[in-house]
Amino acid sequence: MANGFDRRSFLKGAALTAAAIGTQLVQAAPARAEGGAEDGKGAAPKDKAVKRPGSDFMVDVIKATGIEYIASNPGSSFRSLHESIVNYGGNKKPEFLTCMHEESSVAMCHGYAKAAGKPMGMLAHGTVGLQHATMAVYNAWCDRVPVMMFAGNFLDADKRRPGVEWYHCVQDPAAIHRDFTKWDDQPVSLQHFAESVLRAYKIATLPPMGPVLITADGDLAEEPIHNEKNLKIPKLTMSIPSQGDSGAVAEAAKLLLAAEHPVILADRASRSAEGMTRLIELAEALNVPVVDLGGRMNFPTTHYLNRTDDKRALVQEADVVLMLEVADPWGQFNSISDPHHEYRRLAKPDVKIIHISVSESLTKSNYQDMQRFMPVDLAIFGDAQATLPALTERVKSGMSSNQRVAIGDRVKKLQTDYRRMKERARAAAAVGWDVTPISTARLSTHLWNVVKNEEKWCMAVSGMQWNKNLWPAKEYYNFIGGSGGSGVGYGAPAAVGAALANRDKGIFTMTIQTDGDLMYGPGVLWTAAHHKIPILIVMHNNRAYHQEVMHLQKMAGLHNRAMDRAAIGTTIENPNIDYAKLASSLGLVSEGPITDPAKVEPAIQRAYAAVKRGEPALVDVVTQGR
Amino acid sequence: MRIKILTIAFLLAAAMPAMAQEKDKAPAGSAENGHTVYMKYMCYTCHGTVGQGADRGTGPKLAPNPVSFASFQAQLRTPRQDMPPYRKEFVSDQEVADLYAYLASIKPSPAAKELPLPNF
Repeated sequence: MANGFDRRSFLKGAALTAAAIGTQLVQAAPARAEGGAEDGKGAAPKDKAVKRPGSDFMVDVIKATGIEYIASNPGSSFRSLHESIVNYGGNKKPEFLTCMHEESSVAMCHGYAKAAGKPMGMLAHGTVGLQHATMAVYNAWCDRVPVMMFAGNFLDADKRRPGVEWYHCVQDPAAIHRDFTKWDDQPVSLQHFAESVLRAYKIATLPPMGPVLITADGDLAEEPIHNEKNLKIPKLTMSIPSQGDSGAVAEAAKLLLAAEHPVILADRASRSAEGMTRLIELAEALNVPVVDLGGRMNFPTTHYLNRTDDKRALVQEADVVLMLEVADPWGQFNSISDPHHEYRRLAKPDVKIIHISVSESLTKSNYQDMQRFMPVDLAIFGDAQATLPALTERVKSGMSSNQRVAIGDRVKKLQTDYRRMKERARAAAAVGWDVTPISTARLSTHLWNVVKNEEKWCMAVSGMQWNKNLWPAKEYYNFIGGSGGSGVGYGAPAAVGAALANRDKGIFTMTIQTDGDLMYGPGVLWTAAHHKIPILIVMHNNRAYHQEVMHLQKMAGLHNRAMDRAAIGTTIENPNIDYAKLASSLGLVSEGPITDPAKVEPAIQRAYAAVKRGEPALVDVVTQGR
Repeated sequence: MRIKILTIAFLLAAAMPAMAQEKDKAPAGSAENGHTVYMKYMCYTCHGTVGQGADRGTGPKLAPNPVSFASFQAQLRTPRQDMPPYRKEFVSDQEVADLYAYLASIKPSPAAKELPLPNF
């Protein structure tokens, strides 16, 4: 009321009047809303300014979490919060990033969180924004990555403007996301908002991590703060990730020490560089080969114990397998052929399997991201990174002298096998070197040769195995893992999000971008240009939804039909998309399409120079399918 | 396991001369038409346009130095694993011979050590 116009008090008064005069409220309300003109004397309107809106306090709360960026496509349901971020908050920590689709906003958050090691925020506009966001949220959920989502909404139907605002409002904003978010709330007061945002941040960042959603009610944001002195932003204390049970850890150590052919399969195991260091320590203590399944950067590709490309043979031979946060445990030991669904067991029947994971605590009913049930011999509930030091300590302290000798004796063979694996990868990369369209191995090689002198580099998103087989990756930030849910449209925005985090850390960011994926949301290229996010984007342009071509061929074969029509509905040709022109129109330095293998490296070199100047750049390379 | 692998390797090595002879017995085919058939039936989606194979194990390398014609034909007609069958009613025996001739005509790439591949 101190600010002149208090909608709550006004509506309270209106309600009382309604009780008194019934249907006349319809006529009475506009007269009152005019601010004193109902007496017909032409009194000057009162000052209606809301000088301290609730959204200012919301910004204070968001600042308290340390969130540095909020990605958003603007929308009226959170207009007050948007304005408070920009003006009251000074557009710093958080800074408002203009996005062109909510899927891009969330995927940017996804890539950012994996590169930054902390979440950023996104703002969704009511029903429409939340629906646009869903696919990217599902990816983040499957990938166990924290995203702080905020959504605008006007819960109080009495205050909604007629028409569009009703279409964009919803009784339960989070319902559409609830199957694949860790937690949500729709606060009805500012104090409630403060406590729920901090709770959401804690929940999102505690392993298993995941996206959370808080509704920022539009009325709460636009109306003045009442009794601000009673509002408090609680202290944010992060929970410590849980370590596995000490007895179970001791049992795991015993199994590993007794094994002749142990293997470690690491997936979403490392949450930070410390996780990688801890895994190296365990692997070296046991001289056990490590297969990095790629959910995170778990193990250096330069280490002789990294045998990722030998996974199949290692699993077949293994007597003990230690899995660390493996997303698909069953799939590591079994396969089902396609399209005939013939089952095949890959591992020995008596292999002992240990799994350290917290994923079971985040299993819901509807979506099937939990993968097929996998019986194991020792299931340790605990965060892998948090549990590794205890396991390594148990291994070291429990090692007999005979075991020490046997483990030491493994080194020579492991080093030889590692060198063979690398030679095999290089030999495979050489085949088809001069072919047009350009081979993916050659593309990967040329890109490496351009960036190899970078002290710090990050290949943000790439499904291409060549990068891991051929590149010397020694640091946690070199790779950030995949999309989680394999929902197309992740690549470009996630890479831009990672580049945003890396810009602040001085890490050079690049990505190998597939064509079909980019066309889900090319607008994120404009976001990169507008916000001066340096990133080198090299197109893996095979002019197809390539995997789907193969699926159509399989189905034609299964149905006893010819396979010469598999391009229908699966290829992206006629016309060919000019990605360089597209990128140029969105503000990027660009070049292409490159079809001559000899011209790839010079083109990437020119784009690299632009990125070093702080600009995003794209090179379109027409490639083999894979 | 190593014994098994070595045994298989030995048997393969012993069979090599026979396989080479069998390879020589491949029916005459047109490499040019084989390339046309290869592209028409989109063999390149899994194996690459010059049979180099694909990333992530999508399809194995076919060339240079293809397997024997008999093995090639058997895999094409009644494939093992995930590959779809290319039956006679769609790909004639002559086209299979042409396909084989195309793969056999593909020249080897430079050796890895001659290329600027990362080496660490």
